[in-house]
Parts: sequence; structure tokens; C-alpha cells
Amino acid sequence: MFRIFRTNLQVQTLRRGVATSSIQTNPQLPSHSYGHLPTSQSPITSTLHFFNSVMPDGKQIPTYRVLNGDGQVLDGAELPEIDEALARKMYEQMVQLPIIDNLLYNVQRQGKISFYMTAHGEEATLIGSAAALNNSDEVLGQYREMGVLLWRGFGYDSVMAQCFGNYEDTSSKGKQMPVHFGSRKYHFHPISSPLATQIPQAAGVGYAIKRDPLRRGKNCAVVYFGEGAASEGDFHAGMLLASTVPSPTLFIARNNGFAISTPASEQYHGDGIAARGPGYGIDTVRVDGNDVLAVLSAVREARRRCLEQGRAVLVEAMTYRVGHHSTSDDSFAYRPRQEVEDRKRIDNPIARYKKFLESRGWWNESEEEELKDRIKKEVMKAFRRGENLRRPELKEMFSDVYGGEEPWNLKEQREELKALLKKYGGDWEPWKKELKKFKGEGKEFIE
Amino acid sequence: MFNPHKLARLSPSRLSSLNGQCIRRLQSTVPSSGEAEPPPAGGHLPSIATSAFLRPTRDSALRLPGLRWIDNEIPGSISSSKEGAGDIAGRETRKMNMYQAVRDAMSIALMKDDTAVIFGEDVAFGGVFRCTMGLAEEFGRERVFNTPLTEQGIAGFGIGLASMGQTAIAEIQFADYIFPAFDQIVNEAAKHRFRSGGQFGVGSLTIRCPTMSVGHGGLYHSQSPEGFFMGAAGLKVVIPRSPIQAKGLLLASIRDPNPVIFMEPKILYRSSVEQVPIDDYELPLGKAETLIKGSDLTVLTWGTPIYHCESAIHMLSSPPSSLAHHIPASLRSAKIELIDLRTILPWDVETITESVKRTGRLVIVHEASRTAGVGAEISAEIQKRCFLKLNAPVRRVTGWDTPVPMQYEKFYIPDSLRILDAIVDTLQY
Repeated sequence: MFRIFRTNLQVQTLRRGVATSSIQTNPQLPSHSYGHLPTSQSPITSTLHFFNSVMPDGKQIPTYRVLNGDGQVLDGAELPEIDEALARKMYEQMVQLPIIDNLLYNVQRQGKISFYMTAHGEEATLIGSAAALNNSDEVLGQYREMGVLLWRGFGYDSVMAQCFGNYEDTSSKGKQMPVHFGSRKYHFHPISSPLATQIPQAAGVGYAIKRDPLRRGKNCAVVYFGEGAASEGDFHAGMLLASTVPSPTLFIARNNGFAISTPASEQYHGDGIAARGPGYGIDTVRVDGNDVLAVLSAVREARRRCLEQGRAVLVEAMTYRVGHHSTSDDSFAYRPRQEVEDRKRIDNPIARYKKFLESRGWWNESEEEELKDRIKKEVMKAFRRGENLRRPELKEMFSDVYGGEEPWNLKEQREELKALLKKYGGDWEPWKKELKKFKGEGKEFIE
Repeated sequence: MFNPHKLARLSPSRLSSLNGQCIRRLQSTVPSSGEAEPPPAGGHLPSIATSAFLRPTRDSALRLPGLRWIDNEIPGSISSSKEGAGDIAGRETRKMNMYQAVRDAMSIALMKDDTAVIFGEDVAFGGVFRCTMGLAEEFGRERVFNTPLTEQGIAGFGIGLASMGQTAIAEIQFADYIFPAFDQIVNEAAKHRFRSGGQFGVGSLTIRCPTMSVGHGGLYHSQSPEGFFMGAAGLKVVIPRSPIQAKGLLLASIRDPNPVIFMEPKILYRSSVEQVPIDDYELPLGKAETLIKGSDLTVLTWGTPIYHCESAIHMLSSPPSSLAHHIPASLRSAKIELIDLRTILPWDVETITESVKRTGRLVIVHEASRTAGVGAEISAEIQKRCFLKLNAPVRRVTGWDTPVPMQYEKFYIPDSLRILDAIVDTLQY
């Protein structure tokens, strides 16, 4: 009935060239001079015009920047509110990332950990955004966001515990691969290897925050993902839900140019990830992800909008993945070494920010030496400690599958393994050797 | 260059004549050893190198049971095939590991079938497991291309291509990541023929994906999801154990009139090496292969665990001294039959039933967890068919009913000792 009526109305409006302001309840005769469509406020035009850009002039979406490549403030750019203490903390947090990354990358190469992913080149995106957030905002990361956790105080020991999967690993008790961090304490949801699954989850997290009287208007959900992950259906589902069922969800796309070997140019044909924001009615900004002050400003403002409007906001940070995708990848198989070398130099996020700090008199070379020495010592200390701690107790293998009462099958299977270990644990060399790696050497099973 | 009009103009008869076209392969498809390669994310399995199931010589490779040559010397002639390995004169083999054999199969598919395309995440530079190495260069980026990261998109795109009668060879980067495509595979690919009354079909779709554990993959790089597809009637699921098997089964999968999920055990990509026939050949789908003949107990498995089963059977007859006291002397001469299921769906109920009726005992080994795993379906069917012949309950040796836990994987994935224990137990029942 209603449908037929609307169709009639549409025909009528077209014929008369007039429209009403609303047809939702009590339809009125069209009064607008251009007509009115049943489900849209779209103005009517008599010009046949196709479009393929979210910018009125058909150009690419611009990138917001505060510092030039040399660390100088751009003409007309407004510096974010930042004092010396915050500025220095941000720098120190940025500098520590490549130190940890270099160590753990090499440690993987020596076979001491099974896997690692560096964040080389993305230090400004990670630390600039972490600094802009409230530490109790809920973060749903992809896998390259260790910097955000460290900003919140996770600590080197916790990083090492997770990467070595030792008994101090609170992220997953040794169950996940390295860099799959998670911390309830630091509001950092557990990393999952499947790409983009965290994105619609963030919309749910945002909605939960909105419903919580203690957190409404104070916190938001923050979801990080790469430009590759944004190709997954889950990206679109997440953007759609966060906008249609409004929630304070802050989407941060780390556009680092590569999804393993696939360049961004093969990942999308449109204007990056930012172009998709308006498609979902989401406030959007593109920012130079190698400019930590621009990231700080953009994410602060994005967060403010999230909280104030209770709606989703999208930030696309343009950066470059200087490192290989992971320790399982050799990126020189698909990109020229020179391109990477150039990118390390041009707009290097750390060097650029350092120049800015120096120009303010907030940093100098002797502090640089001191800082790097200190971080290296602390990281090495945590590494030595983490390396030498055993894995969690073997019985943990069966823990955390279910909450509440454990089902019979798991109980029985634990008993089955117990019987096997009792029988063969002392005789079978591969098991004997393996058991030594666990805290208690499996004695909770054997005795 | 790619000409979309050219394909659009191809009539069904023209397509079939293209399918029948044969070009004998002479040039090498194996990458030169000097080429830089990423580290073996697939890991290595040391015991495989010595497996008796791998065929290290030309002669043994060419005499593979069930091998069917797909020969057609004259372009445009109807494809002819020769059953069996009777005629091996003039046949060549080349040493290949499993990723090279997979690549070789796809190269043949592309060469003989102008409609065939290969696509997936990172396939253009060779794929993260190197299975498509050099194919984009050889056949062009129009036929071998990267997709954005969208597994549901990859599967749906492949269904579209296949529904138009063209050959779609899709890669999902890890079997662990196939779940976004589950709807497209289970609701669309599997049901396409059925829901169109046989008018449409997507039989020319093959979805390849690396599967099973390497020992340190944890929740999302060690899974064996074949069981999730077990109930998807209309679909076939195939898992090869070695390079020769991979090539023959993949070519059969690509040409099978049904959509096939082809799961490649990733630890075998580099660690299994055989002399592989360079000509076009197929191995039958839906047919298990008996690797060791026996009379006292049947061990049934597929993929990586085949090699653990081989070790277990060896340990039964000649246990290492540390284990000797666990293996009663009376059992050491037991004759164990080992079967590689190869096709998980539809599975070869005839071969398994015949075997279990003879041996009276069945041990099923798979890496996936036990509850509702493939072993559950097979157990139910075999107990029904062989009830009066069984001397012991069907035994399953599987991963536990937990997600795959990384640091604990050596006690999670069934190893040769757990298999041995199940064999001993079942023999003594």
C-alpha cells in the first residue's frame, strides 16, 4: 500500500515539479520547486552529470600536514597544543620502536622466536594517535600497533613475555603467535590474525561505551587497520554499523602502501580509504601519517567529534611500510630496494620530528645518545629475562576454551594427554625435550 | 594483451576445442636455485625426506598407480587419455617440491585452457608460498592477478567466472582465512547447480589454500578446516600428500565438473620432493590410495599426518629402545594397512570399508580437533558398514577440542607416538 502510494507521489512530483519536505507520516503535496524523491533529500537536476570524487573539484582528497619534511612548521599550520614534556615523551616513544623492532627481528632470524612484525616507518602514526587518545579508550588493533600499548605503559617485559610466549605472557598464555598482544588493563583488545575482523567489533565496542553511563561521552572505541584490510567485507560492515547505529567509533586506517606484496594501487581504484568515509556519512580526514604533530591534531579532533556527536569518524594516515610485511616476507621480491631506501630518508617520521624538537630547544644530540643507550639497555634486559623464562604450565593448553563448567570432552581429553605423558613422558626423547620448555616440565600432568 | 572481446566471442564449442589443445611443455618451469626466496614460513618436517612414499626416481614416478596421462598431440583434436602407467617411453620427470608441482599443474592449466585465470592475494609476485612464481610473467597479468584482500570477494568472483563456463583457479592465502568466503563457498558454489535445476554450475572453480600446521602457527596459521566443508553437498574437498599427488590431483580438480576446495599441507611445500612427470596427467578424485597393505589394522589419514603414521608403523615393528617396553613383542609383527584418503568429500567409502572388513580395526588420524571432525563422519559410516567385522571401536587420533595453541602445538597435533599408542591400544582391545 505505502509503496504504491509513494510511487504515485513520485510520479506526481515529477509531473508537477514540486516537492514536500517530508513524506514520512502525513504526506503533503509537493511544494519544492525541483521536486522530491521518496527516500532522499537529493536535489533534482536537469543536467545529466556523473561524478567520481568526493571533492567538489574532482581532485584527490588533500592530506593534512603540520610539519614539512624538514621538521619546520608549514605556513598557516596550527600547532597542536603540546608542551615540552609531552613532546619529549612522544619522541622517546617513537625512538624506542625501531630499537625493539630491530632486536626482535634479529632474534626471530636466530630462531629464538617464531615470528615478528616491525612497525618501521609508521612510528608517527602509532605514537601520534596514541598520544591523542585517552588511555582508557578501547583500542582494537590489527597487529602492528605495539606502539600504542607501549604508550599506555605495557612495558618491555610484557612485550618480551608475549613474543617468547613464556609464563608471564598475560596476552594469551602462550597461545598466540608473537605480536598478538592483548590487555584488559590497557584497554587493548586481543589481536586476531584474520584481517579486518576487529572493525565491525569496534562498532559494537563503541555502542557499548555509549550505553555505559560511566563511559558515555568520555571514551570511544578506536580501531586500527591497514589499507589492505579495508578491502575486506568486515571494513564496510564496520563503517556501516558505526554510522547507521551511531556509536563513538574512531577508525584509523594506516595506509602504508602495501598489503604484503600488493601495492595500494592494486588494493583500490578510488581515492584511498578516506573517500569511503562520506559514503557512510562519516566525518573523515586524511593526514600525513609520517608527521606526528599532524596525526596528533587530526586524531584529537576526530576523537572530540566522536565523543561530542556520539558518531563514527575516519582518519586515513598516509605512511609507508619501510620494513618487510613480517619475518616471513622478503619485500625486495616485489619492490625496489632503492624505493625503500628513499622512503627511509624522505619524510622520515622520527628525523623530521627530532628537527622540530631541536628547533624548539626541546632536544639535543647528547640527550639523543643517552636516550638510545638507555632504551637499548632496558630492552636488552627485558629480552634476556623473557628469553630465559619457560612457557606456561602445559595444562594451560586446555584453559580458557569455555567459561563456567568445562565440557566433558575437554575434561576427557586432558585426561587422555595426562595418561600419555605418564606413560611415555620419561621415555620418549622428543617429548622429554619439549616438556623441559614448560614451567613445571609438565609435572602437573605426570604426577 | 588481454582482449575481453576475444573471450566473450568464444562459443562453447570453441572453448572445448581450446580445452583440447595440447602443447607439450619443454621449457623449465622450475625457478633457478639462485633466486632469492623468503624464509620457509611453511617450516620443514625432517622425517619426510626419508619417506618411502615419495618417489625419488623417474621410473617410480612414472609407474604411479592411478596416473592417467592427458595427451593430445594434435591441436584441436579431442583430448585423449591413457589409463595406467603402461606406456612410459618418452615420458620425462623433473625433481620438484610440492609448491613447484602445484605451480607446474597451474602452468599446464593456463597453457591448455585459454579461459583459465589464477587470482588471489599476492599471487602476482609468486604467492607467499611461491606456488604462482613466474606465472604472471609467463601468462600475463590479465590471467594471473592480485586481488584486493577479500576472501568472500575472491570466492564470489570465481563463482561468477565459473558460472560463465570459464576456468577459475582462486587462491585463499591460508585455509585459516577461508571463513569470510564460507557463505560464497557453502551457499553459492556448492548449491549453484542444484538451485538452477542443472542449468548453471560452477564446476570450473577450484579454490586452493595452504592448510595444516607447521608447529608454530597457533590459532590462525595451523588450522585444518576441511571438516567444515564436509556437509556442503555439491563441493569436493581434496588434500594431496606430495608433489606428484599435488600435480595430478590439482589438474583433476581444475577439470572436475564440480567446485573443488584444494587444500595443500603447507609444511610439505618444501619438505616433500619427488621426481614429477612433466607431462599433463591426472589422479582420480574420490579415490583413496592404499600406501601400505596390511591385514591387522587400518590407519586412515590425509595430508601431513601420513608421514607421522609412516613413522608410527615403523616404530611398531622396530621400536626405539626407550619405547620397546611399551610395545608387546606379540604386536610387533602386526600388519598395518595405511590409506591416504586424498579426497575428503566425497570420500572413498568403498576402499575404507573393504579394508576395515579385512583388518577389523580402524584408526583415523587428522590434525583438526576431534568433535565433528572428518573422523567423526567416517567412524559413523564405517561402524555401520563393518559392525560385525570390527574387533575394536574405531579410534580417532586428532587435535584436541581447543583452538590450536601455539606454544603447546607439539602436544596438540597428533605425532607419531600418539598414533603408535592408538595402534597398540586398538590392537590389544
